[in-house]
Amino acid sequence: MSNARTAASQDLSSCHICLKLVNSELHHCPRCGSAMHKRKSDSLQRTLALLVTSTILYIPANILPIMYTDQLSNSAGSTIMGGVVLLIKLGSVPIAAIIFIASVLVPSAKLMMMYYLCWTVARGNLGSERQRTVLYRVTEFIGKWSMIDVFVVAILVALVHLSGILVFRPGVAAMAFAGVVIVTMIAAESFDPRLMWDNLEEEAEDE
Amino acid sequence: MAWVPAASGNRYAPAMTQAASFQADADTNSLGDAVAGSTDRARIACPSCDLLFDVTDLPDGATANCSRCGNFLTTNKSDAFERVTSACIAALVMLAVACAFPFMQFSRAGLENTMTLPQTVMELWNNNMPWLAIIVASFILIIPAVVTICMLVLSITLTRNHSPSWLRQLGSTVFHLQNWSMVEVFFVGVLVSLVKIAKMATIVLGTSFWAYAAFTVLFTLAVTNLDKFQSWQKIEALAAE
Repeated sequence: MSNARTAASQDLSSCHICLKLVNSELHHCPRCGSAMHKRKSDSLQRTLALLVTSTILYIPANILPIMYTDQLSNSAGSTIMGGVVLLIKLGSVPIAAIIFIASVLVPSAKLMMMYYLCWTVARGNLGSERQRTVLYRVTEFIGKWSMIDVFVVAILVALVHLSGILVFRPGVAAMAFAGVVIVTMIAAESFDPRLMWDNLEEEAEDE
Repeated sequence: MAWVPAASGNRYAPAMTQAASFQADADTNSLGDAVAGSTDRARIACPSCDLLFDVTDLPDGATANCSRCGNFLTTNKSDAFERVTSACIAALVMLAVACAFPFMQFSRAGLENTMTLPQTVMELWNNNMPWLAIIVASFILIIPAVVTICMLVLSITLTRNHSPSWLRQLGSTVFHLQNWSMVEVFFVGVLVSLVKIAKMATIVLGTSFWAYAAFTVLFTLAVTNLDKFQSWQKIEALAAE
């Protein structure tokens, strides 16, 4: 067999927790005890379901206020984009850029990249496997960095607390946004990049 | 089957030239070099593309990357567990300091408010957001603390060549939870909030701020030094004895 190079072609499965190679017929890893799958089970369906969930959560996360500012007797809510615009008006362009990239650009780009990866796997696209694997690793890496905005809210709420003068309160969007980040992280975890390479293996076998 | 390392595969270490010479070949014959009990050769399948590699003879200090997709496979550092132990001990001390002392102080027009790290969580709870409080607490304090303690126990046990029955459980806890710690993200969040309110009032950084910064560095150091593949090879070898 000239192309017997992958674990799957040798009837081996790689444990996702301890990387041990075991016979594909086993259901549990003999080394660490976790459940074994040749490929992550129902990878595409699960990933897509989670992606749709986070896309839905993304709407309230952007429309509703992420933080309220109670100044004297006035209370004003601000959304993520509202906060970015305010920072630009105040002249803090670099911070506005960080918030914009972390809270707007990264989550939406990540969602689109994951949709694209799922689509290429479903279509059985050939070519550019390496680039798509890099793309997947990028989505995996940047996933948690979107939490910055939620943490900023948590810190400001605890720090800026001068009763009656200036108080920050968290908004519902913070919860929705945390949901978006967590759900997309699980989506990235349930996606199996090896599916892209399996298409390549099948093609090689057909030739 | 000669595998030519792709140009971008070289970025990890100069030792990559050696690591790249490992054959991506499933037909590995037993050479009698017992690495892990009954299994004769240390083989690894690339987590991204499933290609098989024999990493038995990975030299000390070398890093192996997948020759097809470039994904990181494993790195072999003989003193890795000692490094993890020392980083974890220092990290735990820093975390304790970070929780006990004031994090930042905010003052404006003669009024001031001091904030501690646990307060970031408590204030969310007091504002009727218990779930968000739990999420934030988990990501910045609970998971990092649990992972650090588990890494410490794991590295000490492995350095001393012990094989208690709970070692497997400990190993899977560490590698399950590792991805869910957001220490470094929180720290960037702190910096962003600092700049956001710097114009509004006077901010004084507390002891806890610096301790948490140190914790971030030490925690990252421990995580990067604890290689998943090598740890499990050692756990298995010890269990087989």
